[in-house]
Amino acid sequence: MPSPMSEPVRPKMALFRPVAVLLVLALTAGACSSIDSDEPADTGTDNRPVRAGGTLRVALAEEPDRLDPTLARTLVGRTVFNAICEKLYDVDENLNLVPQLASALPEISADGKTATIKIRSGVKFADGTTLDAAAVKTSLDRHRTLTGSARASEMSSVDGVDVVDPSTVAIRLKGPFAPLTAVLADRAGMIMSPAALQARGEDFAAAPVCVGPFKFDSRVAQDRIEVVKDPNYYDAAKVKADRIVYSIIADSTTRFNNLRSGDVEVLDRPAATDVDALEADSNLRLLTSESLGYQGITVNLANRNGLGKPPAPLAAPYAGPMAADVRARRAFELSLDREAINRVVFRGKYQPACGPISKGSPYSSDAAQECAAHDPAAAKQLLADAGLTTPVKVTMVIGNTPDGRRLGEAIQAQASEGGFDVQLQPTEFSAALDATDAGRFQMFQIGWSGRVDPDGNIASFLTTQGAQNIGGYSDPEVDQLIAQARAVNDEARRRDLYGQIISKAHEDLPIIYLYRTVNMTGVSAKVGGVKMYGDGIIRLAEAGFTS
Amino acid sequence: MRRYLLRRLLESVVTLVLVTMVVFAGVRALPGDQVRALVGEESDPAVLEQLRHEYGLDQPIPVQYVRYVGKALSGDLGTSARTGLPVADTIGHALPVTLQLSVFSIVIAVLIGISAGVVAAVRRRTAAEWAANTVALLGLSVPNFWFGLMAVLVFAIAFPVLPASGFVSVFDNPVESFRHLLMPAVVLGSGLAAVIMRQCRSAMLEALGADYVRTARAKGLGGAQVVLGHALRNSLIVVTTIVGLQLGVLISGAVVTEQIFVLPGFGKLTIDAVFTRDYPLIQGVVLVTATAYIGLNLLVDLLYSVIDPRVRVGGAVA
Repeated sequence: MPSPMSEPVRPKMALFRPVAVLLVLALTAGACSSIDSDEPADTGTDNRPVRAGGTLRVALAEEPDRLDPTLARTLVGRTVFNAICEKLYDVDENLNLVPQLASALPEISADGKTATIKIRSGVKFADGTTLDAAAVKTSLDRHRTLTGSARASEMSSVDGVDVVDPSTVAIRLKGPFAPLTAVLADRAGMIMSPAALQARGEDFAAAPVCVGPFKFDSRVAQDRIEVVKDPNYYDAAKVKADRIVYSIIADSTTRFNNLRSGDVEVLDRPAATDVDALEADSNLRLLTSESLGYQGITVNLANRNGLGKPPAPLAAPYAGPMAADVRARRAFELSLDREAINRVVFRGKYQPACGPISKGSPYSSDAAQECAAHDPAAAKQLLADAGLTTPVKVTMVIGNTPDGRRLGEAIQAQASEGGFDVQLQPTEFSAALDATDAGRFQMFQIGWSGRVDPDGNIASFLTTQGAQNIGGYSDPEVDQLIAQARAVNDEARRRDLYGQIISKAHEDLPIIYLYRTVNMTGVSAKVGGVKMYGDGIIRLAEAGFTS
Repeated sequence: MRRYLLRRLLESVVTLVLVTMVVFAGVRALPGDQVRALVGEESDPAVLEQLRHEYGLDQPIPVQYVRYVGKALSGDLGTSARTGLPVADTIGHALPVTLQLSVFSIVIAVLIGISAGVVAAVRRRTAAEWAANTVALLGLSVPNFWFGLMAVLVFAIAFPVLPASGFVSVFDNPVESFRHLLMPAVVLGSGLAAVIMRQCRSAMLEALGADYVRTARAKGLGGAQVVLGHALRNSLIVVTTIVGLQLGVLISGAVVTEQIFVLPGFGKLTIDAVFTRDYPLIQGVVLVTATAYIGLNLLVDLLYSVIDPRVRVGGAVA
């Protein structure tokens, strides 16, 4: 075969010209689009009027696991559940807890050990059976006791559930537990049809039946989940779309291309690199909300023998000044410029953060948001005061994703100005969790997706031997404050207690908080009524095609 | 013959057992397990331990393997760790997608490859041959994922004439099926088309210079009749062999193509199962693939032995 190089130049150019034009057109299609849109500014909600009917197509970033509220564990599954399984409580756009299948917030007894919940009347499951107190008890008991339940630990504070009358249940608690309402505003508060549970047993996930604006229709693994409008829903008039098809598209570029081409109308989690193109496209809109979670650096202080084991002084090669001397940790924090990290690594799309409670939370306070300013000179001084020879060598496990590497490199560069020599250890996520749980690390760049109640963002990370306290942090005062904050129902008092906990964490620095991600959802301009609050769940109950 | 058959059957079973063992141990050697992938950021050791116990992952690997084989022999491939749905059903949904895509790709590849090969051979040293060679070179060297993304950018976004993703079965709606499969089939078939084009071209060149073609021309047959009726007909033997040899490459190419075009086929299923460390699904996929592959090989070997008895005799002597 003759080499193309030996061919005349003219035909080659003639052949490539139309191809090149097509490619340039395609690649610049987004960039050339008008950006003088008068669409509403980016927020987590879109209240434009929509017409009834139509099929909404949603691209999910990953496959949800079992569609059984008792067994489900993945975050992405909560978006599907939002359409088909309502909960006793929900959050509103300001992250306040509001009744959903309950008719009012729980009444807590004087000793804090009983929560009485009134159930909304006239509610039917998707199979036509009636929601009553007995059904609520059946589901709550299943969440607590079913083998393999993913809700068991969330419900561990519950001693029992009693049916008071057909529209009232009483939850008996082992002790006062303020986060209970927030727990019931997640999957632990989802109520399943007792008839369907009896009929399907552990196979409930194959055809879940709950109360929701939509009901489960079909599922093809690794491909799609389809739900259809439920005529039995108590507020069916507000539901606009006839059907929702959730497609699983793992690759972010493919997902974004499908939104641009109109093959899907809603896009779960666009990649940070696609956000500019998404915002510039007048046919698309970006919904955002500040995440409830955080990203930070967890320092191994005393996890010598593995997660859940008593803290113990570290041995080589993980022992070092970061674990031994709080001045080294403070110096490390002072050497980091959170604003610059956000600007350089995430194009300014995220929010610098210095604590586990988001600013939008009702439990946020000045103390919770207090932040040490970037000061590399002070960092060096602290290291000198501690008698440490610079550069101080430390290792840090980071994610092996492109974003994880860029973040690690930014931290490495900034820390070097403060007198540190950071060796990065890029590691696959599951492998990183295995290693850090076992205590095989000095520092780990890790985050948390966040929960509505601050207890879910703090307790298991900072309590001695907490379930996610991989750094082995232990402080009796913090333990006591966390227990107190759990037991108090008064919001102002809890806010104050969490402020104290975070101030103490700022003193000890077991975790150096860095930034808070922003939940993002891409939506076609043809679709309105899509909502996304701080919990990052895509809410489609009132979504439909704009008229 | 019976002895040969028994020997080949035994070899096939041993191969199958070895494949399943390697995959069984291999997926477990990956960092992180299915419980880690499922639980994600929530790393409560008690929960991990409980789930590992529930899935039997706290047992020694040989014990897990024996249990798995025991169930598989009775036709139970288990349930997906991720979705809780039966593995057999999941594979059953995915297989027809990949089969339809593969068949469509082969048709396209054969059509493009043979046409381009014939043109390149007949119109030597012209722009047509140069164009055909260039397309063949591109087809061989451009990776599927890049070609696929570009195709989506051009034909689904810049000029939205085809859907960017999705699958419609040809048995449900042939027109929509064609629209959905056209881009993926062209992308998947491009490499095969290039191989066919090059082989077809050289076979055609050889045939066009052969005595029987000269004789045909001497008899006064027209150009088209000589090229299509005589030279091409003989060249098709090569093409058929190439298509057979390239089938495996085509199926493995479907892994990437299905990801790009979000086709719920076997390739996408495999990749997603690996990413979620879904052990039962990975094992099921490999078992089905290995069984099919070994079964087909066995069938071919047996056919050979029927066609040419020396094969089975040779086997016995060796």
